[in-house]
Amino acid sequence: MTAQSDLVTSPTPHPLPKRTSDRVTHIRPERGWLDLELDQIWRFRGLLSTLVHRDVMVLYRQAALGAAWAIIQPVFAVAIFTIVFSRIAKLPVPGDTPYPIFAFAAVLPWTYFAEAVRRGSSGLVNEANLVRKVYFPRIAIPLSGIIAPLIDFLLAFLVLIALMLLMGVMPTWRLFIVFPLILVASMMALAISLWLAPINVRFRDVKYTLTFMLQIWMYASPVVYSSSMVPEKWRWVYALNPMVGVIDGFRWAVTGVGQPNFVALGIGSTLIAIMLAGGLIFFKRLERTFADII
Amino acid sequence: MGDIAIKAKGLGKKYKIGASAARHDSVRDMLASTAKNLFQRKPSSNTSEFWALRNASFEIRRGENVGIIGLNGAGKSTLLKVLSQIVTPTEGSAIIQGRLGALLEVGTGFHQELTGRENVFLYGSILGMSKDEVAEKYDRIVEFSEIEAFIDTPVKRYSSGMYVRLAFAVAAHLDPDILLLDEVLAVGDFSFQKKCMDFARSLERQGSTILFVSHNMFSIKTMCPRVIYLKKGQVVFDGATDEGLKMYEADSRLAQAPWFHPESSDGPAITVTEIELLDQKGVERTVFNYGEQMTIRIRYTASRPIDNPDIRIGINRSDDLHCCSFSTHSDAIPLGTINGEGMLEMTTPALPLVSDQYTTTVAVRERGHQISSQLGAIFHIRHEELQSSAFGVFHQAGHWRVGTEADSTIVAGSQISGD
Repeated sequence: MTAQSDLVTSPTPHPLPKRTSDRVTHIRPERGWLDLELDQIWRFRGLLSTLVHRDVMVLYRQAALGAAWAIIQPVFAVAIFTIVFSRIAKLPVPGDTPYPIFAFAAVLPWTYFAEAVRRGSSGLVNEANLVRKVYFPRIAIPLSGIIAPLIDFLLAFLVLIALMLLMGVMPTWRLFIVFPLILVASMMALAISLWLAPINVRFRDVKYTLTFMLQIWMYASPVVYSSSMVPEKWRWVYALNPMVGVIDGFRWAVTGVGQPNFVALGIGSTLIAIMLAGGLIFFKRLERTFADII
Repeated sequence: MGDIAIKAKGLGKKYKIGASAARHDSVRDMLASTAKNLFQRKPSSNTSEFWALRNASFEIRRGENVGIIGLNGAGKSTLLKVLSQIVTPTEGSAIIQGRLGALLEVGTGFHQELTGRENVFLYGSILGMSKDEVAEKYDRIVEFSEIEAFIDTPVKRYSSGMYVRLAFAVAAHLDPDILLLDEVLAVGDFSFQKKCMDFARSLERQGSTILFVSHNMFSIKTMCPRVIYLKKGQVVFDGATDEGLKMYEADSRLAQAPWFHPESSDGPAITVTEIELLDQKGVERTVFNYGEQMTIRIRYTASRPIDNPDIRIGINRSDDLHCCSFSTHSDAIPLGTINGEGMLEMTTPALPLVSDQYTTTVAVRERGHQISSQLGAIFHIRHEELQSSAFGVFHQAGHWRVGTEADSTIVAGSQISGD
């Protein structure tokens, strides 16, 4: 104890009550490369659910049409694709699936994925105030960014089922496959967000780049066309896009035509796992600087 | 170790300032400046590092209330940010035992579109409470905030006062073991401020540890028996409040007003080198009674001749409210041309200012332009009854008429004596 602290007043005479928490927090400059503090996410799970809840509520409250947007967006996309690619360009569709169902089965995971990436990577900047003034594991923000659009996904999924019944495509047990597939898509979105969000804090260019990056990516995925149109010798390159396996899986789940693309799914999932691990480390390393530069 | 709430060892936080650390908001900017540096072959000479906090070591026991004081930019907020884990220290370490609640700015987690009720839950979980915990405390929070009627209105329609009330109410119910407070008590109207202070005291009685950053020395005095005084990022004093405040007051004298920019880079044409506050016996004091006369003596150095300057001595309340000014021009005091060193003394009339903390300011004007502005000595005015929360800026007795129209007596108010 230094000479200075001798001046400190003696401890309060009455006994101190029990602590609310016995948590001991260590504050130090460096953390190990692999100390990802994943337990913090669990500790702040309440915050995560509140952030998701808030994102969903705010989204639907600010818009005049509210929850209808979750439906309008994919429905319009499908309508336009049907006119342009089916009626005008006359793209062939494998099997006898009506083009709108064929397109919807791909637009559904794609819309979710694009929205999740958009929100996941811009969340930190949008929540700058929070980041500057309050402590919480920052990863809660990209996480809530990929979880909140799942609500839209579920609504649009119901629309797809209605459309299937309307067009005489009977839903089968295969439809349940979409849930693990959307999980794969959300992990992909998280992996990308973990890389882009910290870069976005530093360089706001990400916001502008993202729009056309997602556009190009959509055409590099079998959204408007069938992956069977890709020449055989390029399939392996094509499979490096993790969304290929996801979308093919969705198509199979909805139409039953062909079979799930296990090769693409396998390659995609491996890539996602690598990107996710790298993203977690990258995000964690830069997390410490967010409050300084945001 | 059991009784220690916070133990900091050599905490330091470094920021980069200067041109090359200028933020590149886009990759294009960065590429442009990198290219420029490449051609100019100038090693980033204008990068400078700046320690916002350095070598901060201290121990805070459970149940202690500690004030953190220092001039603007001394590192107070940085310290709180490091302790609340918002920023990571560059060096040193700290151990915190128990739940820590930080109120660095009230209501930052609020979302404009959501209602007061929804924001209570949102802000609660941002501060670290579980949903059940907020639900359990919800009624008390709303009652404390005094805005029951508007709880289902989106907060974007709230007045700033309501906003702060609700936010503080949530934060106040966090029940932390350690509470970091940054000037948040300086918001809201007076009755709410008092409520907040009372609340802080009740936390104190419960044995919470409070770290309190404020510019209001009076609040520090009433709340904290111990202060940590930061100066340029370093802990220069850690100990009894009275002693710390003396050092702080000595240092905060004669600082240049933060908003004033001198005409040339050499500094203002005239510098006030000393401001002394004397009572009527000529004794230097920092606490005056209500209704007392005060003599303000200033010494100055002028670097060039100043023709017929207007020297203004102002008095600002602790919340920066400008209470009054005395001016050589309006009092028709001919100063002629001043140059070099000089002295000026002004005795105020009996000051009717109410009980609070005040800062003197000295401004010099030449032909309508302000050429110098400095903050001077801090003083307190004491009165049991005449508090600024109830009496405003000044108090003077009125003439009252008592009884009916036909039969009335004029009662001249007698001045409440200053103690």
